Amino acid sequence: MERTRAPFAALREALHAAEERTRLPVARLLLLVLLLSVPLWPMVDSRWLRILVLVGIFVVLGLGLNIVVGYAGLLDLGFVAFFATGAYTYAILASPASPALQADLNWWLAIPVVLALGAAVGVMLGLFVLPLRGDYLAIVTLGFGEIIRILLLNVRGLTNGAQGLFNIPRPELGGWVLRSLDQWYWLLVLSAFLIATAVGRMRASRMGRAWEAIREDEDVAAGMGVNTVKYKLMAFAMGASIGSFGGLVFAGFFQFVNPSSFTLAVSINVLSIVVIGGMGSTPGVLFGALILIGLPEVMQFSETERLLSVINPAVPFADTTDWGRQVASARFIVFGVLLVAVMALRPEGLFPARRPQARLPERHESTA
Amino acid sequence: MPLLALEAVHAGYGAIRAVRGISIEVDEGETVCLIGSNGAGKSTTLRAISGLVRVTDGGVLFRGRPITNEAPHRVAAAGIAHVPEGRGIFARLTVTENLEMGAYLRPRGPEIARDLERAFETFPRLRERAHQTGGTLSGGEQQMLAIGRALMARPVLLLLDEPSMGLSPILTQAIFERIREINREGTTILLVEQNATSALAISNRGYVVESGQIVLSGTGPELSANDSVRRAYLGEL
Repeated sequence: MERTRAPFAALREALHAAEERTRLPVARLLLLVLLLSVPLWPMVDSRWLRILVLVGIFVVLGLGLNIVVGYAGLLDLGFVAFFATGAYTYAILASPASPALQADLNWWLAIPVVLALGAAVGVMLGLFVLPLRGDYLAIVTLGFGEIIRILLLNVRGLTNGAQGLFNIPRPELGGWVLRSLDQWYWLLVLSAFLIATAVGRMRASRMGRAWEAIREDEDVAAGMGVNTVKYKLMAFAMGASIGSFGGLVFAGFFQFVNPSSFTLAVSINVLSIVVIGGMGSTPGVLFGALILIGLPEVMQFSETERLLSVINPAVPFADTTDWGRQVASARFIVFGVLLVAVMALRPEGLFPARRPQARLPERHESTA
Repeated sequence: MPLLALEAVHAGYGAIRAVRGISIEVDEGETVCLIGSNGAGKSTTLRAISGLVRVTDGGVLFRGRPITNEAPHRVAAAGIAHVPEGRGIFARLTVTENLEMGAYLRPRGPEIARDLERAFETFPRLRERAHQTGGTLSGGEQQMLAIGRALMARPVLLLLDEPSMGLSPILTQAIFERIREINREGTTILLVEQNATSALAISNRGYVVESGQIVLSGTGPELSANDSVRRAYLGEL
């Protein structure tokens, strides 16, 4: 164990020293550059980029939900509602197929609209669920997610019902249209980086401390002088705002929305990303999304099949002549087992939220 | 004018009226205790003061100003700190963070660092555990942390709910010793206890609560000497 950890520790220390010297978040900037360079890597083709764009959208959603669940401890099972709010707001205001109005809203101008509307929907949900805690909160938010989907299905005059809205315009700025997968990918990396930075600031602020106290014990937090109503609503507003932005990207990228994209499964996926990654942890969201969204897709690749055929083990009871294809087609089973294993071995998630004290050489976090 | 006055307060959870017309007064600088059996309404009385449970009738005055049904964070801002039953430690925050959270309403500055140091002096065990998360502390350490955290707010009035709960007799004695010191240093204390002997020993005055009402009141020695109190709460036959 010690030997495998040593190089990482050395790297971390080197990065630390660099950060102290330059007063810049060196580690994060390096990660950003690394991520931005991905489309230039030789092995990365359009299939990879398509997956990475999808992963990026889920990173954004995960960052949003992480505020609500990870920081403030409010178990929201209906996060898809905000994703849908963002996607449909842009679709209705920009799609030529929109039955209600033809606003031709530019994608870039839609950003503030979507952020504000998302926050408003978040506050609305927050007001309804203010007195609820724990499992009651989970059930009501779950219902809220479903209500939004059913509304989208039935308010045909606005949403075109089950048919959805199509021909949604791509982001366009002074004649320059965001078209290629690389550009989408870069847009997502940059926006996720900005969001993660903003969220990190919030967490370190007075608001972040209020959220953590609420998560730990709401009554006691109030007793310390935390305005729990205000900060719970803030958590919903911030989370929803970010989730709506994810929806905006989704609508602009796929150029098509219909209610079947906004099911409970999305909420569960985003929540799983947050939990698997480690509640309240930003790197956790990144890796959680890579594993949960990226891995099942990559397992479908023909290369994966070939690779699996090579390591073809002699399974006594199975026909292994076509092993790679078999594993690929059973990928959700493999994947499920993997998830259970992760949670069994690392119940705190892959990247447990780093407490400020984690900077000290020794942590005495386990039992005394 | 008393620091805190409850005037015929009724409070409870839904149909359950746990507090039925309680009137008490706490003067500045005093330690006052509410004693009584389990379910008598003592905790609910404290929760009614700090705004955690709805007052349905009557009123709460703090420094002569009504704070009835104020939001809990406003009550805290007025200068009342509440150490709830079960201590309410932030389990995933470290001891230091727990203490700092107590000073949430105060402006950041050297004053807070000084008070943190004072908390560690009052409870040396907490210094040893400064970087440990609250959830890993023992019951006694958690109680110290809860009290220390409440003091970080520099409260005028400290509400303590069952500080001896779950503690060994030795630890209980140590905690009560600290409470007495805290009071000497100028913080007014309203204490709720089932451990009537220890509570009365450090209190100027006490009230006996039964079924949501005050049935008896007096100075510490008076209540300790009272026959029915001795029989009911001090374990004498």
